[in-house]
Amino acid sequence: MKFLKKLSSLLLAALMLAACLPVQALADDVPYQTYNYDYWEEIVQIPAPYVPDGAISGVSLNCGTFASPQDICVAPNGDLYIADTGHNRIVVVDGTGRKVERIIDSFENEGETDTFNAPTGVCVSENERLYVADRENQRIVVLELDGTLDHIVRDPQSDVLPAGFVFKPLKISVDYADRIYCIAQNMFQGILVFETDGQFSGFFGTINVQLTLWEKFWKKVATKEERQNQTLYIATEFTGMDIDESGFVYATNIDENGLQGVRRLNPRGEDVIKKGRNENVGGDLWINGSGAYAGPSQITDVVYRGEGIFSLLDRKRGRVFTYDHEGNLLYIFGGLGTQEGTFTTPVAIEQWNGELLVLDATRAEIYRFSPTEYGSLINQAVALRYDGDEALAVPLWERVLELDENNELACSGIGKAYLSAGDNKAAMKYLKLGMNRDYYSVAFKRYRSEILRAHLGQALTVLGVVIVAAVAVTKLRDRFKAKGRGKKEKGGVSG
Amino acid sequence: MRAAFGKEKWRYLLYTMTHPVDGFYWIRHQDRGSVPLAVLLVICFSLCFSINRISANFIVNDVEPASVDSLQELSGVLLLYVLLCVGNWSITCLMNGSGRMKDIAIAIGYGCAPMIPALLIATVFSQFITVEEGAFYYLIIGLGVAYAVIVMLLGIRQVHDYTMGKTLVTLFLTFVAILFILFVSLLLIDLIGQVYNFFRSIYTELVFRM
Repeated sequence: MKFLKKLSSLLLAALMLAACLPVQALADDVPYQTYNYDYWEEIVQIPAPYVPDGAISGVSLNCGTFASPQDICVAPNGDLYIADTGHNRIVVVDGTGRKVERIIDSFENEGETDTFNAPTGVCVSENERLYVADRENQRIVVLELDGTLDHIVRDPQSDVLPAGFVFKPLKISVDYADRIYCIAQNMFQGILVFETDGQFSGFFGTINVQLTLWEKFWKKVATKEERQNQTLYIATEFTGMDIDESGFVYATNIDENGLQGVRRLNPRGEDVIKKGRNENVGGDLWINGSGAYAGPSQITDVVYRGEGIFSLLDRKRGRVFTYDHEGNLLYIFGGLGTQEGTFTTPVAIEQWNGELLVLDATRAEIYRFSPTEYGSLINQAVALRYDGDEALAVPLWERVLELDENNELACSGIGKAYLSAGDNKAAMKYLKLGMNRDYYSVAFKRYRSEILRAHLGQALTVLGVVIVAAVAVTKLRDRFKAKGRGKKEKGGVSG
Repeated sequence: MRAAFGKEKWRYLLYTMTHPVDGFYWIRHQDRGSVPLAVLLVICFSLCFSINRISANFIVNDVEPASVDSLQELSGVLLLYVLLCVGNWSITCLMNGSGRMKDIAIAIGYGCAPMIPALLIATVFSQFITVEEGAFYYLIIGLGVAYAVIVMLLGIRQVHDYTMGKTLVTLFLTFVAILFILFVSLLLIDLIGQVYNFFRSIYTELVFRM
């Protein structure tokens, strides 16, 4: 009996000790999938690149629950602007995320107090002005950061706009020259661009309708009456925007084929995005199946995160896809659900002090995600590569390989460093692991000429000796045969 | 059996590769070919095909090596071989072709032969090239395929004593016949499955009641 008591107390102590041990952050600890696609477009599990790190809500800020917030924006000074659409106000949160700086729900307009009506988009420009897409008032309100009115943009006038067009701005972005890029409701012709003075100057980045051969065929065959009854082929609308430091606009749209969910538009409005080796910047690659959960990703927003890295937000499966400037997937995380760190209706994504913020409209909360060692290593290494300091990235990539030994980007990065250091054989090994055809070829070419240069002399000597020997042997044999034949002939004559 | 793989059969295979018209003529009229050898060639072709898909260098190989199942590919190739032979035979029977089943099997089987060295050489060659030189890899395979197609066409033409135009027409009809055979056999398999399920459910019904 005594022994049993002792044993149980011992067990209890051991249990308590185990509970005190520090917990390691494993991929299983996050409430969502963390994965990537490899060269063969197979899903590979990766360590969590980002982990949930709390939430910002109206309750946590003591300003009353948000009502269906639709957009967030990070100002250059680090403040966070939240478009609290249902309450017709803009909430400004300070850099810590714990305190409300101010709430903008009205402003002075020509001597009268004016208010918002369903502000769905918010943007702070580099020149420190606040732009609000005031949807139901059909205008864009431009305010100073303290809330005084600068000017209002409304009623775009142009021949290219359809007659009776009602301007309902949804999302806005502003570039360094204070040009306004605006996504408007039911506007399929592209992004509306307003010049600095508020004049509408035209459309930008129109998505062309892609007809399949089959649809073209039926269009040809159909009669005029039939065509009128068919559904129109309409280009998809844009869903979200961001602008990088050189003024290129990243604009997302919902692609039915799941191939391209984001465009990178140059100042002429042409798409210049690189699609990586999968030829795909549309989110998930495995989209077959049936049911509500299958189908292509529906990209709703994009955030440009510097050094060519950008993240896409998918509302279909609640995932965040991060790409480098070449369009290669870096990592994928996130999911739908009800736990903290998962989403119900994700609508906007932003980067804030190195964290990622995702706004959920239904739950009216902003979820914060902070990078793990794995995530920040990849971010840093990709940034170094973007800046051309590939050699500096090697120790980072090596650490990435310790955490995730099948990481193709890391292998490729190390291989390239070996290549520029002149170690062609090691470069070949890593570039092959990284499935990098072009650079492997370069490494192999150099290795091959190295080998040839070292051994060509020997090879030619051996070849020369062999040829000489062969000639000699044939000659000798011919002579021998000729002799033999001569003997035979002689014998024949004598016989 | 020894005769089927005998030395003269191999030698005659080489002769047929270099002189397809004459070669297939004597195969038809003097039984100089060998069906087991033809089947062996088809099997070899299938193996080389798998080897190429698995081992060709990754800079020219778009196939994931782990996804290649050589036995599955072998059964697929053999099935296609049987279908081609049966389909061609059933069409040429109706179109005055003088070839026997045996001759068709030999013509198609021998036709695969040029692909075997082409695939092997290309696989080895791919280990020593860069992306820019990949064109040579595809050239080797392309030559192999072209050679195989020519030998196969001439073989089928020769054993049936057709003109080239008629050969092409019968080949097209052969593919139609293959589709037809596949359709009927799928139908048959489905019906057999239903009958089997019927008896099986009777059996389970009985087992549950006893």
